[in-house]
Amino acid sequence: MADLYDAILNGDAKAARAAAEEALAAGADPQELLQQKMVPAMDEVGRRFECEDYFVPELLLAARAMKSALEPIRPLMARRGDEPAGRVVIGTVKGDLHDIGKNIVASMLEGGGFEVTDLGSDVTPEKFVAAIQDKNADLVCLSALLTVTMPSMKTIIDTLKTAGVRDRVKVLVGGAPVTQKFAEQIGADGYGESAVSAVALARRMMIPA
Amino acid sequence: MMTSRERVLGALGRQQPDRVPIDFGATPVTGIHVSCVDALRRRFGIWTGPVKVHEPYQMLGHVEPDLQDVLGLDVAGVAPRKTMFGFANCDWKEWRMPDGLEVLVPAGFVTSTDDQGAILIYPEGDSTAPASGRMPSDGYFFDAIVRQHPIVDSALDPEDNLEEFGAVTAEDIQYILGAVGDARSTGRAVIANFGGTAFGDIALVPAPFLKYPKGIRDVAEWYMSTTSRRDYIHRVFSRQAEIALENLALIHAAIGNSIEAVFVCGTDFGTQTSSFCSVNTFRNLYFPYYKRVNDWIHAHTSWQCFKHSCGSVEKFIPSFLEAGFDILNPVQCSATGMAADELKAKYGDRLTFWGGGVDTQQVLPFGTPEEVRAQVLERCRTFGPGGGFVFNSIHNVQARTPVANILAMLNAVREYNGQPNLS
Repeated sequence: MADLYDAILNGDAKAARAAAEEALAAGADPQELLQQKMVPAMDEVGRRFECEDYFVPELLLAARAMKSALEPIRPLMARRGDEPAGRVVIGTVKGDLHDIGKNIVASMLEGGGFEVTDLGSDVTPEKFVAAIQDKNADLVCLSALLTVTMPSMKTIIDTLKTAGVRDRVKVLVGGAPVTQKFAEQIGADGYGESAVSAVALARRMMIPA
Repeated sequence: MMTSRERVLGALGRQQPDRVPIDFGATPVTGIHVSCVDALRRRFGIWTGPVKVHEPYQMLGHVEPDLQDVLGLDVAGVAPRKTMFGFANCDWKEWRMPDGLEVLVPAGFVTSTDDQGAILIYPEGDSTAPASGRMPSDGYFFDAIVRQHPIVDSALDPEDNLEEFGAVTAEDIQYILGAVGDARSTGRAVIANFGGTAFGDIALVPAPFLKYPKGIRDVAEWYMSTTSRRDYIHRVFSRQAEIALENLALIHAAIGNSIEAVFVCGTDFGTQTSSFCSVNTFRNLYFPYYKRVNDWIHAHTSWQCFKHSCGSVEKFIPSFLEAGFDILNPVQCSATGMAADELKAKYGDRLTFWGGGVDTQQVLPFGTPEEVRAQVLERCRTFGPGGGFVFNSIHNVQARTPVANILAMLNAVREYNGQPNLS
């Protein structure tokens, strides 16, 4: 039986799920499994990505293994009312269908202990507003790959203001053409250069000012 | 004064040409969105009707010879017989973009609208097959719809990922002969894209041109498979390379050395700040197949080998050169480690930079005309001396790029070249 930490690090989804199930069956605490095995595993995946030991394929494999292990764990945590590290609503903005980067960020956030609501791609501003209200979100993550859809990020922030929910959430933006300067121009709270930096940023954003 | 072909040949030979040659529209990665081609035709008073969309995936407009003349372009392109959605570019009909622009599309461009108002497009124009592309209701481009059957590892057969790499037909050869002849008759240098020589190009993995693709077609699944199913990918690439060499021999027998360059590969290895794989993975998984293709081309033809890869790829360049690539595109200078002056100093004696002229993520679409001019002049001064430079923006000119900025870009190249502004 592979250790849950190693199974995630090695991107072995079957082994990760089996390790999680076995640990739970042996009476392990789900929150402890998350905090002591899975979050550290995804942190190590992130570290290896940052130092170019891991690349997109390894990141995707680890994220899939982590999701697979979360399946038996999450219902138990929900039943106990365990609080996540934060509640995130994430999506690729209206007009843009590119979701691989967004999916990696969503998985890395889940692996970091966040509760993630993924709205998919080509998401309207109104859907973001509804999800923020419905999920009581702390963070909103917006992704865009196309230069023509970057302006949608500003539209979404404006819509959040109009709907009266802008002050309830932190808005984080990312995607290939997006920059720190652009994030500041449109009034976002943060910019993530990579999936790994997005998780670090999300954690910082959850620290009360 | 040199002819366009002489100018490009000079640049490719890394000899100083009389001026920096320019490409727009000759390849699917050096093109102009149809809306901008339409706007340019109107600006120069040569608008004669809706513009043809010759590359429907990215909705690139056809840069006809009259516009090539007006803009002073030096390269003509040869596209594959069939588009990314598997139909031929013929029997044009009118079609309306979501923003209302009338364009021309081939008869095989068959669409419907989904329940969110998005436009769906069908492979080979067959609406009884599952749609293979989707354009958002207010979009400007299509993206592939992933059609992935559940993967059973024990049943995976490399042939399933090889359906699109068949032998060229007599019809293909006839088409190529005609298209090369047309391109050559413009007097410009010719770059041809025959297809079949890109290994693992992620845009092609979902196979939007096939009606019922089999094998590994999901983008994330493919990326993961490059690590978790590497033997399978090797088997796909190995057979693909064999087919490619047989096809190149047939094509070369038909057209000889009547083209200057061949678009070998559009597989992206770079991201904005890093890469999709390590140099070691590149050398293990991709390098042997590129080397086989490029070695054959160099042994049998005078064609130069064109490699497109977005992003941060400086660390791959020595391997690209060793694999036999002569030309790098789009030279994404904004990506990590891709500073123009450093690339030119380090590789300028061995590599032609086809691109790198201006950033299309920020400067060209969102900058002022003066900012565009400043960057273009800087890039010409960096890449231009000693040849080895074909001017192009960094990837296609995107939809909604202001015409004033496109003109500022072209006029800045002309300023560097000592030519008067376009009027």
